[in-house]
Amino acid sequence: MGAIWEGLVEAVRLIGTGDGELYSIAGRSLLVSGSATALAMLVGVPAGYVLGRARFPARTLILAGVATGMGMPPVVAGLVIWLLFVRSGPFGGLELIYTKQAIIIVQFFIATPLVIAFTAASIQSLPTRLPDLLAVLGAGRLQTLWLLAREARLGLLAAVMAGFGAVVSEVGASMAVGGNLVGDTRVLTTAIVTETSRADTERAIAYGLVLLAIAFAIVTVLTVVQQRSPR
Amino acid sequence: MEALLKNVKFSYGDELILDVPEVCFFEGRVTALVGPNGSGKSTLLRLLAGLESPHSGHVLIGRRPSPPAREYVAYAFQEAVFLSGSLHANLDLGLRLRGLPSSERGLRIEEAANACGVDHLLDRPANRLSGGEAQRANLARALSLRAPLTLLDEPLSGFDEEGRRQMLEELPGLLRRFAGTTVLVTHDRNEALHLATDLVLLHRGRIRAAGPKREVFSNPSDPESASFLGYTILQTEDGLVGISPGAFQAGTGDFTVSLEVEEVIDLVDRVEVVGWAAGQRIAVNFPPDSSLPSAGEQVIVSAPTGMVMSFTDPVSKTVDSLSRAPVA
Repeated sequence: MGAIWEGLVEAVRLIGTGDGELYSIAGRSLLVSGSATALAMLVGVPAGYVLGRARFPARTLILAGVATGMGMPPVVAGLVIWLLFVRSGPFGGLELIYTKQAIIIVQFFIATPLVIAFTAASIQSLPTRLPDLLAVLGAGRLQTLWLLAREARLGLLAAVMAGFGAVVSEVGASMAVGGNLVGDTRVLTTAIVTETSRADTERAIAYGLVLLAIAFAIVTVLTVVQQRSPR
Repeated sequence: MEALLKNVKFSYGDELILDVPEVCFFEGRVTALVGPNGSGKSTLLRLLAGLESPHSGHVLIGRRPSPPAREYVAYAFQEAVFLSGSLHANLDLGLRLRGLPSSERGLRIEEAANACGVDHLLDRPANRLSGGEAQRANLARALSLRAPLTLLDEPLSGFDEEGRRQMLEELPGLLRRFAGTTVLVTHDRNEALHLATDLVLLHRGRIRAAGPKREVFSNPSDPESASFLGYTILQTEDGLVGISPGAFQAGTGDFTVSLEVEEVIDLVDRVEVVGWAAGQRIAVNFPPDSSLPSAGEQVIVSAPTGMVMSFTDPVSKTVDSLSRAPVA
């Protein structure tokens, strides 16, 4: 118990004194997971909208595939991306393995099924007549999309939270494709694993606290936006 | 603003939903689209709104091809659908999308909400209104747009009996004040006769009768149309005949039939005798002070000649176009 308390005190000191390594890793985590989530939204929201609204023969099969993707262990995604981007793999020539870009790619594949599924569910829960109503009220195509997104904001922001939460907290995939290189591809989760294995409890706790703080801050902002009633 | 459908065909897959050679909805008139469920009424309304495109033919709104310009049409769906937010915000949205300035929007919302009796609900979340309130709000939203063409899909659905009775009284005045040309869908004959100046009778996607309501009502083109309009259809030795609603009375007359009484219902101001004649179940009003028959008894009932019409060749009487000269 004493070691944990000492660890916490030291962690708070590291955070308070602006420890360079800690903030550099935290910044990298935010950049990598934020980029992956943004890309997942870019692809997942339109795909989820189509799956939520349109009716076509393969729709159920695709939804089942998306649901399977949601449950895929990140380390398996990491393995697949590693096999694709390793030097001898089909995309080895791109030389992305053990780079931040490789982590963004693998996190994109982890977050996208979550974003698609949450978006499709939120769009499906809207009244079916809503697009017709907006059309007869005089909304153009873009205005309709914006108003529908506003109506589905609970689900859409839940999609951002789920996607970001999944990628910022995963460790196996980032370790596999990023290599946990100091000053380059080390992110908060891989750093926690490293410091724990080195028995540097203070740093591990400090990284853990920062990770929790980042997740809490982002989810709080999104929740405030989500729960705000439109005028 | 006039709306015209010409040579319009509309299908879902292989199923032909609507086949209309020509029908015109005249400026300033209130036309009721009537017919049984699945006859194509709502599809026709969606074509007028530009929510569907015909597979062939033309839909012209104010002589311009559909889809209509956004400011031309107002549409109240059968189910009242609202976005999240207050009723005021919901009423404001359509006006805002049509580019009206804030002061004009406020005035229009106030007028329509007052007229429809929802002014006290403007600050409430629209999605939490009760069934009747939501239907009134739905109507207020359409009327606030003051569009040249107003489309109403089953405007009296969702009301309880009292609310329906009230709205039936109020709606003609509201339409005169806020709407231009109006097309409304209903499957209720009495609603149609109460609200509309013209009737378009649809059956299985085809127009069976169209024109001023008195003309359509007094000259049904075929037994199916007549039956929907409330006529009693009987098979006689001379073929099928239709007897106007309420024409039967007790005793002998021009057109006499024998009625086997099934039940006698006392409605205080009158007595309704229900029974079977020529294989049809019919109801005849008897004065309350008359001698009443008992169940199982045979009674003679009759209708005057002017209220009985013959259908010798029903197919040839199918009407495909609306007269362009409405009777006031």
